[in-house]
Amino acid sequence: MASLPIDNQIRRLRFEHGEMTQQQLAERIGVTRQTVNAIELGKYSPSLEVAFRIAAVFQVPLEQVFQYRQGG
Amino acid sequence: MSFREKSAWISFFCLLLLTVAYFAGMQHHPHDAEGHDLIDPLQMALAIFGGFVVLQVVSHLIVVAQAPKDARTPKDERERLIELRAARVGFYALVVGELGAMGLFHVHGRPWTLMNTIMLAILIAWLIKLGTEVVLYRRGA
Repeated sequence: MASLPIDNQIRRLRFEHGEMTQQQLAERIGVTRQTVNAIELGKYSPSLEVAFRIAAVFQVPLEQVFQYRQGG
Repeated sequence: MSFREKSAWISFFCLLLLTVAYFAGMQHHPHDAEGHDLIDPLQMALAIFGGFVVLQVVSHLIVVAQAPKDARTPKDERERLIELRAARVGFYALVVGELGAMGLFHVHGRPWTLMNTIMLAILIAWLIKLGTEVVLYRRGA
């Protein structure tokens, strides 16, 4: 499967926010733990709404969570 | 494994069992010496479908009992997307199967054959839909 051209910093942000678990993040943004895992591993691109919710949980701008890989 | 992935696996195996049981039953049900059915095929089909429903419900209840919170979680966007993609694949399989059934009917012209080929096409399309769901869940998206 081709990897998505979007990188993310979710794992690092979770670690910096009191070692938040995938389950805790999933509950706060209204998805399953498996979906958080798929986003973290770059297997699934979330909708804009979920992306903004993740950024809101970590209180950072969206571009600090997701980065588009040019030419990826 | 999420509740919905477990559910897809359960449904896949229950449906596989139903398909095998239905067609094996239709092909090999007992006859008397004059070739008359000893078991009414309709009753046998209903019994097999009833067994399928019971097996599905019981299997799902066991999974729900193991992780009730997981089962109560509403479908999220990734799970809805997986379902939609799998339904699209299943739809194409169904169209191909139904066209095949129509073609076979033109060759054989027997309503019984038409009914069973349509049934086979529906079951295979459903299996392909569930199989696609399982593959997409395994792949992560």
